[in-house]
Amino acid sequence: MKKAISLIAALSMLLGCTACGGSSSSDKPADTTASKAADTTKAPDDGKKQTINLYAFTDEVPNMVKRYIETHEDFGKQYELKVTQIPTTNQEYQPALDAALKNGGVDMFAAEAAFVKKYTQGDMSQYVSSYEDLGIQDVNDKIKSAEIAQYTVDIGTKDGKVVGLGYQATGGAFIYRRSIAKAVWGTDDPAQIKDKVGPGWDKFWAAAAELKAKGYGIVSGDGDVWHAVENGSDKGWLTDDGKLYIDPKREQFLDISKQLTDKGWSNKTQDWTHAWYADMRDYGGQNEEEKDGQKIVTKDSDIKTADTKQIFGYFGPAWLINYVIVNQVNGTAKGQGTFGDWAICESPVGFFWGGTWVLGTKDSKVKDGVAKIIEWITLDTTEDGLQYKWANGTLYDKPGAKDAVASAVVMKKSDGKNDLLDGQNMFEVFVPANSSAKGSTLTQYDEAINAEWRDQVRAYAKGDKSKEAAIKDFKTVVNDKFGIAAAE
Amino acid sequence: MNKSQRHLKGLSYAKYGYLFAIPFIVIFLIFQLYPTLYTAFIGFTDMKGVNPVHVLDHPFDNFKDIVHNQTFLKSLRNTVVIWIMNFIPQITLALILTAWFTSRTSKLKGQGFFKVVFYMPNIITAATIAILFSTLFGFPTGPVNQLLKSWGIRATAFDFMTSKSASKLIVAFIQFWTWYGNTMILLVSGVLGISPDIYEAADIDGANGVQTFFRITLPNLKTVLLYTLITSMIGGLNMFDIPLLFNRGGPDGATTTASVFIYQVAFTGTNLYYRAAAASMVLFVIVLILSAILFYLMRDKDAIAMEKMKKAERKKHKMKERRGF
Amino acid sequence: MAARKRSGLSTGFTIFQYIICIILAILSLLPFIIMLVNATRSSSEIQANAISFIPGKSLLTNYKVFDGKSFNPWTGFINSAIISVCATACTIYFSTLTAYTLVAYDWKAKKAFFALIMCVLMIPGQVTAIGFYQFMYKVGLVNSFIPLILPAIAAPATVFFMRQYMLPSLSMEIVQSARIDGAGEFRIFNQIVLPLMKPAMATQAIFSFVATWNALFIPLILLIDRKKWTMPIMVAQLQGDMYKTEYGAVYLALVMTVLPLFVVYFLLSKYIIAGVALGGVKE
Repeated sequence: MKKAISLIAALSMLLGCTACGGSSSSDKPADTTASKAADTTKAPDDGKKQTINLYAFTDEVPNMVKRYIETHEDFGKQYELKVTQIPTTNQEYQPALDAALKNGGVDMFAAEAAFVKKYTQGDMSQYVSSYEDLGIQDVNDKIKSAEIAQYTVDIGTKDGKVVGLGYQATGGAFIYRRSIAKAVWGTDDPAQIKDKVGPGWDKFWAAAAELKAKGYGIVSGDGDVWHAVENGSDKGWLTDDGKLYIDPKREQFLDISKQLTDKGWSNKTQDWTHAWYADMRDYGGQNEEEKDGQKIVTKDSDIKTADTKQIFGYFGPAWLINYVIVNQVNGTAKGQGTFGDWAICESPVGFFWGGTWVLGTKDSKVKDGVAKIIEWITLDTTEDGLQYKWANGTLYDKPGAKDAVASAVVMKKSDGKNDLLDGQNMFEVFVPANSSAKGSTLTQYDEAINAEWRDQVRAYAKGDKSKEAAIKDFKTVVNDKFGIAAAE
Repeated sequence: MNKSQRHLKGLSYAKYGYLFAIPFIVIFLIFQLYPTLYTAFIGFTDMKGVNPVHVLDHPFDNFKDIVHNQTFLKSLRNTVVIWIMNFIPQITLALILTAWFTSRTSKLKGQGFFKVVFYMPNIITAATIAILFSTLFGFPTGPVNQLLKSWGIRATAFDFMTSKSASKLIVAFIQFWTWYGNTMILLVSGVLGISPDIYEAADIDGANGVQTFFRITLPNLKTVLLYTLITSMIGGLNMFDIPLLFNRGGPDGATTTASVFIYQVAFTGTNLYYRAAAASMVLFVIVLILSAILFYLMRDKDAIAMEKMKKAERKKHKMKERRGF
Repeated sequence: MAARKRSGLSTGFTIFQYIICIILAILSLLPFIIMLVNATRSSSEIQANAISFIPGKSLLTNYKVFDGKSFNPWTGFINSAIISVCATACTIYFSTLTAYTLVAYDWKAKKAFFALIMCVLMIPGQVTAIGFYQFMYKVGLVNSFIPLILPAIAAPATVFFMRQYMLPSLSMEIVQSARIDGAGEFRIFNQIVLPLMKPAMATQAIFSFVATWNALFIPLILLIDRKKWTMPIMVAQLQGDMYKTEYGAVYLALVMTVLPLFVVYFLLSKYIIAGVALGGVKE
């Protein structure tokens, strides 16, 4: 026993030491080489590589950079990549990133739409370098000639200088089921459906009533509409002096949500939940029976609630189609599940949803390297640039999903045909969608504030409280938790 | 005890007492006391996000604010409500099972198995349990909803996650479900610790099972019950993993406990560390006061009397010894 | 016997007791059975019918979902194991040592020290978290296992338990005779006291192991490098949208996190039950 204990004790000390040794040795030498290399200005042949510290919340950007290093030999000789990846599921990414930025351990990082403003224009923007200071030349000219979606530029600009840009464009469309469109309006042509569901919310609700009359729901839940309302509003959550402001169009969302529930226009799902996905695949792929345009009563009725309806569509950008819906349709070719039964048309109101911006830091010692990567990701419109590969799904050896990208120039020369959409060229819709989206409604605390707002809206829509109470509670919670007082 | 032993035990070895306590004390100072004091200190500053830190001109402002913070007060109420909703059924069921498992008239078979199974939920990662339950109660096609429908209890699925009372109830149930086995085993052992003589006396007096339980078992379990109460209370006031992971503290903040509130204030949104620190200290003081009250109630009067007697005895002994020298 | 006289009533009551116990046992086991079975079923099977007791054939498919995703059970397993084993070893060894100082030696500050330990017992974990987090960032111990292992040395609850166990079971006579034989104090502790404490150490080891294995809050805010993630952090991430669609994989992930605990538990359940009881009797 004694031996066992002392062994364990010894082992634990050893492990403890290696653990500490490990972490410090991986931090420190990197720092010293970095500063050394910076002093001697690029010495690619001395065998020592400079480290680029990258922070990200998914593996998307890290994989891009890895791919860049793989495909650019000279660059690979000079630099190596150290990735810190923290998901933002429970909002853990920001505190970790903030602390790292303060301590100077970050060279470049990715930021999501829900909090990017904190880094481009908000509390943390002091740590971020403009693209020009990184060493990217003629940034504004390149943006113009690439026709980068204006809203992504607005969000990434501080005091007239660009500090962050994206590779993706997330302007949204309305994504609908062809079979249901045919059943209700006798056509599935996007050009005609566009006029049925829009422009403007009034026409959209008229369409909802028509769908309801035939037994369909127009959207799965209020979350689908929210993303369109959020960016379709005139102002964001914060006033210029940092007070909480509820845009009338956002306030209207309370009624929209309640109306969806009360009039039975949706299945009352929450986005990213089981039921929300189930609506994408019609609760298990019975759509071979839908082809004749008839509403079918599903056989396995125990899965559905009595008032579960087939859902007409979703609001979303290209990534929702190619990363989410495609995995839910219960098929991989036309005729299987709802695959090929989708189409997209212009959204009744312009909006965008999500997106990733790439930023470099002021204190970075490897600005040259960071500049090259960022330029490749955000501004390179050639077929070797990231965006072309991203739009065509050719970044990796295995063909991947196609996505809408920031540069309209790239999209115009790319192939946007999508089998899920029955061969429709999605870029034809997304290029104008990206230009009608606007970035002015974003604030740096959106992630946290939106969560509280949606919570209150759900309570109101459910009938738990009055509209006034919901708004009052929302203001109280935001002030109590985040110290943001209501304007007025 | 002879003199040399006393010498060995007492005087020259005292330094080892200090020596061997060093690891505990050092680690305690670094990893517990310092962070606690530091947290308290943050409560007096304007530490927020990454901004430079200043001590406030009116140092107690944060504390004044936090006790008027509606959301914090609501989170405290939630914590207490959920804890009570879990503790009362928990202690009741544990007591019933204890009575059955220690009954001297009828021995239940398979007790070992039941104990092992009842205790089992307690060892499972809270995160796992929370996610498991949020999947089980999924809307509209989760297992529970399917059961309700196939048994004909409900015609349509019920959305547990958007119902305030259902969410509270489920969180309380998870707490209950993970802890009643633990409580029961504690109580059983408490009963086994009661001297059999008392029971024999009761038998002779012709007391039946129920009488024995209420007149003898329960009063003798007082210490164990209070111990359970204190540990459960401290744990309950700190409830964090389950409410956060089960439904993110929602809906409409119904399962936002004090710890979830502190976490959200400090680590999301605007990172108001000062406010979270002040809330933490308020929570700490509450735990401290409640524990002190309970400790005072549970202090064993007999033991204290004994201790006093022993001390007096020892003094006498020492006096005698000195005189002996 | 009195019991036999009213045997009709008492048999009925016994059956009632068994029914309740069996219901409770099912309540304890059912979620885990659903979890185990669903881990072998495909997502669409689960969506069609969430409860089934017939295992499916999608175990491997579900496992493959983890490929290249942030849920890496083996990394999580190894990290959790390193932290839990080291922290448990620290807790057990140093708590016994600390308890020994409280039992075997008379030193002036002993009373105060014991009071301190009881006070520490009161400090809720989340209270110090903000200070702890800021402090660890300042000294650069983020992404290190040290802040998760070293604090285990000061485990007041374990010290308390060890003291309660040691008081009646440690005979000072043995210690004295060892001293007379010329053994040093540290050796006496390691060679004589530790073996005596074996049963208490075994039960506390299990509790400490389970508690460390399950810890979420501090690891969540300190371990930001996903190579350092522990099992519970990975489980918490399962709620992220990446897996929401893969129900089979979520269930499988949950199974993988609890499997080691199940094995430990059923192997050592005797000690665990005895250990809980031990704590109760002594207090």
